[in-house]
Amino acid sequence: MKQYILEAKNISKSFGNVRALEDVNFYLEKGIIHGLLGENGAGKSSLMNVLSGIYQPEKGSIFVNNIKQTNLNPEYASELGIGMVHQEFRLIESFSIQDNLTLSKSNIYRDDFKNAFEKYSEIFSLSVNPEKTISELSVGEKQKIEIMKLIFNNSSIMLLDEPTAVLTPQETDQLKNSLKRLSEEDEKTIVLISHKLKEIREFTETVFVMKNGEMVAENLLTENVTDNNLIELMMGHIKKSVIDKSNKVGDAKLNIKSVEYVDKVNNYKLLDNINFEIKAGEILGIAGVSGNGQVELANIISGIQVDYSGEIFINGQDVSGKGVKSRKKLNLSYIPENRLGVGLAPGVSILDNSIVKDYFKTRRGPHLSKTKTKTYLENLINTFSIKAPDSKAEISTLSGGNMQKLLMGRELISKPEVIIASQPTRGLDVNAVEAIHNLLVDQRDGGSAILLISEDLDELFKLSNRLLVMYEGKIIKSFDIDNADINNVGLAMAGVIE
Amino acid sequence: MIDIQLIGLFNATLQAATLLFIAALGELITEKSGILNLGVEGMISVGAVTGFMTAVNTENIFLAVLVGVLSSSAFASIHALVTVVLKQDQTVSGLILTILGLALSSLLGKNYVGKKLVTKLEGVTSVTDPSSILEVLISQNIIFYLAVLLMFITSFVLKHTMFGRRLEAVGEDSRSSDSMGLKVAKTQFIATCVGGAFAGLSGVYLTLSYVPYWTDNMTSGRGWIALALVIFGGWKPYRTALGALLFGFLEALVPRLQTYGFELSPYIVKITPYVITILVLVILTIYKGGKTGAPKNIGVPFFRENR
Amino acid sequence: MNNLKLFKRQSINELSTFYSFLIGFVIAIFIGSIILLVQDKNPIDTFSLMLRLSVGSINSLSSSLNKAIPLILAGLGISIMNSVKLWNIGAEGQIFLGAIAVNYLYINTQFNSPTLHIFVLLIAGFVGGSLCILIPAITKVVFGVNEIITTLLTNYIVFGITIFLINGPWKDPKSLNFPAAAYVGEEVFLPTIFGKLSFGFLICILFTALAHYLKNKSVFGFEMRIAGGSALTAVYAGINARQKAFIAMLIGGGFAGLAGAIELLSQTHRVSTGISQGFGYTAIIVAAITGMRPLGIFLVGCLFGALSIGGSVIQTIGVSAYISDIIQASTLFGALIIQFFFTYQIKKVEND
Repeated sequence: MKQYILEAKNISKSFGNVRALEDVNFYLEKGIIHGLLGENGAGKSSLMNVLSGIYQPEKGSIFVNNIKQTNLNPEYASELGIGMVHQEFRLIESFSIQDNLTLSKSNIYRDDFKNAFEKYSEIFSLSVNPEKTISELSVGEKQKIEIMKLIFNNSSIMLLDEPTAVLTPQETDQLKNSLKRLSEEDEKTIVLISHKLKEIREFTETVFVMKNGEMVAENLLTENVTDNNLIELMMGHIKKSVIDKSNKVGDAKLNIKSVEYVDKVNNYKLLDNINFEIKAGEILGIAGVSGNGQVELANIISGIQVDYSGEIFINGQDVSGKGVKSRKKLNLSYIPENRLGVGLAPGVSILDNSIVKDYFKTRRGPHLSKTKTKTYLENLINTFSIKAPDSKAEISTLSGGNMQKLLMGRELISKPEVIIASQPTRGLDVNAVEAIHNLLVDQRDGGSAILLISEDLDELFKLSNRLLVMYEGKIIKSFDIDNADINNVGLAMAGVIE
Repeated sequence: MIDIQLIGLFNATLQAATLLFIAALGELITEKSGILNLGVEGMISVGAVTGFMTAVNTENIFLAVLVGVLSSSAFASIHALVTVVLKQDQTVSGLILTILGLALSSLLGKNYVGKKLVTKLEGVTSVTDPSSILEVLISQNIIFYLAVLLMFITSFVLKHTMFGRRLEAVGEDSRSSDSMGLKVAKTQFIATCVGGAFAGLSGVYLTLSYVPYWTDNMTSGRGWIALALVIFGGWKPYRTALGALLFGFLEALVPRLQTYGFELSPYIVKITPYVITILVLVILTIYKGGKTGAPKNIGVPFFRENR
Repeated sequence: MNNLKLFKRQSINELSTFYSFLIGFVIAIFIGSIILLVQDKNPIDTFSLMLRLSVGSINSLSSSLNKAIPLILAGLGISIMNSVKLWNIGAEGQIFLGAIAVNYLYINTQFNSPTLHIFVLLIAGFVGGSLCILIPAITKVVFGVNEIITTLLTNYIVFGITIFLINGPWKDPKSLNFPAAAYVGEEVFLPTIFGKLSFGFLICILFTALAHYLKNKSVFGFEMRIAGGSALTAVYAGINARQKAFIAMLIGGGFAGLAGAIELLSQTHRVSTGISQGFGYTAIIVAAITGMRPLGIFLVGCLFGALSIGGSVIQTIGVSAYISDIIQASTLFGALIIQFFFTYQIKKVEND
């Protein structure tokens, strides 16, 4: 029998009515890089949160070095040598690199910080002064510090939750080498979570696959499985639908002319000479690693960001100087990247959140009709099959998918002329993604012009008619979808154009 | 030869500043951990009355200080229980702590109004009527020197010790701190109780030295000024001390204005510290562009499983 | 082996605030009893005496309700501001400035119709309260200065101004050593409805309904909720969050100012330090304990009014009046503790 450094048996965990993990088994061998593959929402992050003591499972047991752990919390987990890198960074922004690396009680290099930092800086090809504060670092550098933090905290088991999501292909390559060295030289046990087949194939020795909260494949040898095997396991029987793109395209509905936006504090061009148009019945995709100006672009088109230069036309009307409301009156819909916090207001009821877009269109004087708003919400719930039992409950009691459906439904029910959809499927399960894609295609067929901003190349290729790539605030390349090659798009995302 | 009145003014400034500063320093520590405690006024009051009662009954000044500090710290633990353990609203809890503290101390001190202290906190040297700046500096009571020491210690601990860095980390980003294995709740609980202890020390300074008697509501808003001082000082011990000196100066100046020949109503002068605090807050916020130095997680209850 | 772990509840009982209040009140009465026992007073006798003297007759009941008026009005103002997630700790000062505004207008204007005169004076009170919060409102909306500190500091500023006025320009020579302004004329006294119950109570009912409508049934209330929930969502929805916050603050201050006007015109009849006995602070408890619900504020306001009257009359038997403050504060602490059990769940975790 093999010796496992960590074993989790029959783990179950739910959030309210949502079952996140169902009877999951997971086990790790020392000194090996394991892959954990699964679609967004398959339960990968929940499992990692259970292993690192952040979530308490309702059922199941965890063994570390063959000793049963009954009271796992983050502090104890880190004592046991389990460390996790979360999708959102867990770094204290205003503190220095050194502080972040040495704060933890399980730190082992406090007295010998300088040498250790030099050693691992070499492994991670990092060249920064440890006195620098985290907020001054680039995203790639922060990711390296996150992983280094685990090493400094003496973690022998490193759980990395989608570490490559924010990295360029070059940085991803670098990370691969660093992790290989860590597993070989330091005997670190590593779990790499990803939904990208290519990474799993290149990084890992064995692979686990999750789907809908269940473990559908355990400890497969990576070299023995094919891409098709993995896709089938990951997606189950749902076949990836192909979208017909031969629908009728009409006149231009959205025109963007030489839009520029400058970050006044740092005097840095966040958007530089952006030009494009979208016709009725067309989906224009914007690809790019996040943080290259996509959020600013969406905010400027929707009227939230006002201090830009350039011109914007909706349906031929110049709206450059107009605010959010007048653009909404021209029937522009915006599905923001930040679902809860921008699109929906946390701490406020489902009912209130459902009317955010159109409340001022139907208002009569100061009165807000309860019956009208309730009918409005019921209509949304029925049309978009949203599961929302209690309309008075706070919005965050909904699952991610239902939240997004409510947001999309609210924005789409009035048959908008122009739609800006930013990362509309991020963090949703397969079925919800499919439903959201269908909603967007329906709108396209109804004659809307759609701007789709996404990091998910599969999604962009599936839905878009044309593709633009944004890099450092510029559109550096445009593709017709029929002639686009996924590798060229990937290279352009990293700033490489030949 | 320096004007004797100026010496008096300097002395009074130091004493008024000490009172404000200790409480502000305690609140600073609490806030650094991410907990806002608006109950400073109540805590000072509890420390003041319990210290005074002990001094009257036992005539043991050391015991009196100890009781004042401990009871105020215990009182602050109510706030820690409600906000740290039970994760309830910090604003509400702090306010109620003030109301409860004032009521409780009035109730406790009912029979002590007008009582005289046999022993009060005396200066460390025998100088009773200082006639030079130096004599003022060496004639303060032990709590003054303790306050100065605490200022250095707090600043050092926050900046240069693991405990201090961890405390600050928790207040900056409790989620990240938690994932680093730091004990968020324990740190915040301790910081709140330490804040209470400091407020208690300020309270005993009030009743055992500054105005050595007890009367209802004698804290008269000093707890709130202490809160303002933390903001004024940008959550830094030395700047907070500077702020305390400024406010102490104004408090000391009010009763002396007429002797200097100013024809201002004392009632109007009395409100100047409050007006100045608002002005300073506005200037700080404009000047720093919103970055006032406040801990990022202040006022936000931490629950690990919040998604 | 089983472990106890903390979980957040997915849905919270709608009546949880009410239950928390009830249990909190029981806890507070228990604490009050202990304090009375320590002072060698029989709690049952004391509390029944308090009950009798606060609601036992038309006269005592009407004094209790009169006492409730400022608590309710200031509480409503606090709850309106809370819709945009802002705290008003300055109700005490707003009550004083409301009364000062009334007296200023009374001294400087002349009206033939007493009804119109009273009406104008009440409006002056509202405006006075709004003026009191104007600087915190501007500094909050324009610069983002924390309103908790600024509203609180204005209390001390306004209290200083009050003392200045009643010792200086407005001092009534007839009041001898007690600093106070001159009495207003009887023609502007608020009439009574029954017993000693002031007409102000009807205004109070009207404003409770108004606050309820504003918060729960109006477009403005909706916009305040969104702006309070997330500033980014407000921008996204085209709602001017700063404008809503500004207006909410002025209304909140106005409600407390109106309370000051009613106190002046129906109770004290002159500006003195007795215009408010900490009503602005107690109002915070009243508002917080009801989860900022206007109808709840009305009911709890009445209860706390009775408690205050009960507390002040039992002083005659040698019990400190602070017992009612302690009961009020403990009720909220108790309620907060109970509310925890409605929000979180402690579950046994199976490990096998």
